[in-house]
Amino acid sequence: MIDVLKVESREKTGSANSRRLRRAGKIPAVLYGHGQDNVSLTVSSARVEQVIRHGGHVVHLEGAASGEALIKSVQWDSMGSYLVHIDLFRVVEGETINVVVAVELKGDAPGAGHGGVIEQVLHEIEITCPVTSVPDKLLCNVSALDVGGSIHVGEVPLPAGAKPVTDAEAVLVHCVAPRGSAEADETGGGEPEVIGRKAGEANAD
Amino acid sequence: MALMPKRVKHRKLQRGRIKGNATRGNRVVFGEYGLQALQGGWLKAQTIEAGRIAANQYIRGEGKLFIRVFPHRSVTSTPLETRMGKGKGEPEFWAATIRPGTILYEVTGVSEQQAKLCFARLAHKMPMRVRMVRRRPM
Repeated sequence: MIDVLKVESREKTGSANSRRLRRAGKIPAVLYGHGQDNVSLTVSSARVEQVIRHGGHVVHLEGAASGEALIKSVQWDSMGSYLVHIDLFRVVEGETINVVVAVELKGDAPGAGHGGVIEQVLHEIEITCPVTSVPDKLLCNVSALDVGGSIHVGEVPLPAGAKPVTDAEAVLVHCVAPRGSAEADETGGGEPEVIGRKAGEANAD
Repeated sequence: MALMPKRVKHRKLQRGRIKGNATRGNRVVFGEYGLQALQGGWLKAQTIEAGRIAANQYIRGEGKLFIRVFPHRSVTSTPLETRMGKGKGEPEFWAATIRPGTILYEVTGVSEQQAKLCFARLAHKMPMRVRMVRRRPM
């Protein structure tokens, strides 16, 4: 699904102006790609977050810029609470793009009932697909996953025309038997070895 | 057993100063939910271990816990009733340096409700304010 994003042009650049924008509930954005000039834009922070939270990748721009754009990069503040900036990359219909799409597990794995732990190794995979058919998320059915079993990237159903870029043999999710409480291998106890000092040498520091 | 480095270049460190927020290790990477520090400070190896035990008792057999911090820093102290001087004290414990925003633990394979309860137990062990966060979409 392609979401609509209303954008306004941004004349004032710089950190101070960007801070003022963020206080007003907007965030700075930049649109680039396809050999055209870069355009500084302003978008509503809440709207972008809404699009990102439900897994949107390609947006239809309205306002100061038009056409389709890929949300190429998203910057969050260091606490991960709010958006700081987004990069939009121009795309045209019929073009094939590489996107990183989240993978969601679906169904109840029988392995979990048999004492196993479902471990999702990859939470997102990179795929190449036409602009118009970028999925919000990929669903991986685990209803046949038993203890010791695994599902690979190549087994995930993809939309028409899409191919995985991530290694198709990579394990996406597996069901493993829970480990025992033997976790004492992490430390040796006592004092750590000091690099460059022979055993038995007196501590000079 | 509490975590500790296997090999170090120097046994004793200067105390240092914690400035600013975490710019690395500040997003959930391995699990679906994480426990994020909202304040900075030192997190003792014993505290990390206490948190691991508290969380594992709750999620045992269901999910998986990831510890995202490691106590690289040795903290020294001078024994009580000792006269001043005579050099720096001996290493007393190992600690991780935590900046606000650092993800301390992550869990996977459990529901949001279970993760919330697990982190609530774990948060009691932490010496700083913490909050539960979800995996960021992008």
